[in-house]
Amino acid sequence: MSGWRIPGSRVIERQTIGNAKGANVDVYVAGVDIGSTMTKVVVHSGTILAAVIGPTGPEHRRTAYKVILEALEKAKISLEDLTYVVATGYGRLNVPFADKQMTEITCHARGVSSIFPNVRTAIDIGGQDSKGIKIDKGKVINFVMNDKCAAGTGRFLEVIAEALGVRVEEMGQLSLKAKSVPKISNTCTVFAEQEVISWLAMETKVEDILAGIHDAIATRVHGMAQRVKIEKEVVVTGGCAKNVGLVKALEGKIGYSVLVPPEPLLTGAIGAALIGEDIARQAIDKGTPVRRAERRLSEVTFFDEAASRGNRS
Amino acid sequence: MPVKKRVGLDRVQELYENRDMRAKELKAEGRTVMGYMCCLAPLEIMSAAGIVPIRILGNVKEPVTRADAHIETIACPYVRSCLDIALKGKYDFIDGLVVPHTCDNTYALYAIWSSGIVPITPKYHHYIDGPHMTFPTSVEYFDVELGRFKESLEEFTGNKITNQKLTNSIRLYNRNRALLRELYGLRKQGPPLLTGTEMTKILVACRVIPVEESNELLGEVIAEIKNRRAIPTPKTRLLVYGGEIDDTALIELIEESGANVVVDDHCLGVRSFWHDVQVDKNLIHSLGARYILNVACPRTYKQRERGYKEAMDNRFGYLMEFAKEYKVKGVILYIIRYCDTFELDAPGVREYFQKAGYPVLHIEDDYSVTTIGQLKTRVQAFLEMID
Repeated sequence: MSGWRIPGSRVIERQTIGNAKGANVDVYVAGVDIGSTMTKVVVHSGTILAAVIGPTGPEHRRTAYKVILEALEKAKISLEDLTYVVATGYGRLNVPFADKQMTEITCHARGVSSIFPNVRTAIDIGGQDSKGIKIDKGKVINFVMNDKCAAGTGRFLEVIAEALGVRVEEMGQLSLKAKSVPKISNTCTVFAEQEVISWLAMETKVEDILAGIHDAIATRVHGMAQRVKIEKEVVVTGGCAKNVGLVKALEGKIGYSVLVPPEPLLTGAIGAALIGEDIARQAIDKGTPVRRAERRLSEVTFFDEAASRGNRS
Repeated sequence: MPVKKRVGLDRVQELYENRDMRAKELKAEGRTVMGYMCCLAPLEIMSAAGIVPIRILGNVKEPVTRADAHIETIACPYVRSCLDIALKGKYDFIDGLVVPHTCDNTYALYAIWSSGIVPITPKYHHYIDGPHMTFPTSVEYFDVELGRFKESLEEFTGNKITNQKLTNSIRLYNRNRALLRELYGLRKQGPPLLTGTEMTKILVACRVIPVEESNELLGEVIAEIKNRRAIPTPKTRLLVYGGEIDDTALIELIEESGANVVVDDHCLGVRSFWHDVQVDKNLIHSLGARYILNVACPRTYKQRERGYKEAMDNRFGYLMEFAKEYKVKGVILYIIRYCDTFELDAPGVREYFQKAGYPVLHIEDDYSVTTIGQLKTRVQAFLEMID
């Protein structure tokens, strides 16, 4: 399996991740964050040994297995070396080799706090949802979440990027060139797309429209996060945190600058790994064996697949 | 071979799954069955006229397919669900429809339902106007309104509602309330003797049978639960506050995530039964006072006294008392989308509890099982936050 990569995956160099400090014990733990769009794996032992990001796709049970194999290979350890695995994200229940499942809210808070210890508010804008998390001393004290509407999520950006014929990755930089910011009044993705098309018809510049779109998302996300009362320091995470235009628009609404982790996709997986490390350490300190779930690192098959194979043989 | 009659929780399960079963049996026996909505319908008067009142429940498992032609999609999803199943003929067995003015959505439901578009329009329908304030004049007004309702029922049934009949009826309902309070008492100890999921089923079962049968059933259930030996493991104790909860899906989701719902103030919960009706000289006035002053539904506004704090204590102090008495660790506000009645109060209630140190999870739902599943992450994160 050496040199083996899954298509579309990306190994994150350690120095770019930031200093996510955990307990200094000689245990290997992994955090697996299966988001709606991307799967993130972090292998940790005192410091991050490896981090891999791959697309989730429709078969996330299989993806989780492949991404963790890649991360283990990168960390140069085997699965048997792992003391504990915590799964998070919306696909957390589909990680058969995880010892524990935690929600991404708790894991994000832990991960963000490890990088920015003074964080009070984390705003996570992911592929299909966005959330505001109020944090006190690394613990969640309140949260708010939007998971029913594409507005204010990465999906919204994807739809608009397609309508404007630009790549999602370049939206942020492009929007910074805007001379004026048109008001996008619809926050419904479908209607906003129509609105964008009508702005195009009026020969509005693409960068201006992009700035308008970022402003619309920022307004929405800010309004939601304000329900937990945004306080300094504010950290923005999730795939959309990579969009510099959106982050700037959000700063405009909040009124001061926000922090973005070096790799904003990874905070959930980092948090999951650190929570796993806490559990392992508590057990070790007490001298009790670490309670594990029955581990099954095998490629998950789907019921219909297994059935059809059975029929053939 | 005679079919063995099911009793206690077994009977509860049967009634929970077949909600119109008993009403249809009674109708076949010649009884008059009427559907009613909300906590504001004076059931005592209906029973005193010899009517079997059953609560109109929606169905979170049934997708709304017919109602949209008659009511906007921004109307209360619970009301849309009720209308939808009525349009599908599932409430064709009711002889009458009684709707109090809880909110404008119930008014719309009443108007559409009684307009002749359901397969069988109820022979009798009555709308009760309920004042939204709690001034002495409000109760006075409601007394007159209840008098009008009483006369209308007498005319329809041909049965005179005597003072004696009304007294007996009030006593039966007060007995029912006492039994429910006793059952809630079994949830006070930690761990509770029954789960919130079981309680939800019991509350539904009690609303779809006559009050005498409900009293008998509750007696059996209490005896059965008191005899329980196996005490479940302690979990995070929660209070659930909100609108219509007539299905276990949400409570099950909460309890499967590692909590126990130990007290619930929703349309079928404490709001509907906690306070007795006083038996005294003017029974209609006792009823009016109980329904307007004691049913703590946000549709009735208890006017501000001396400032905001006192107004909040006035309106939600009872909820805080429940939280303390039942030793809850957190509060879930379950608000049905587009329910202005609850939505407008939600920020205030949230703050009221948070200031008192209770974590609050505010969830907004579409009154549908498919969307309840999406709440899982929120509920789990909330419990992780409390632990």
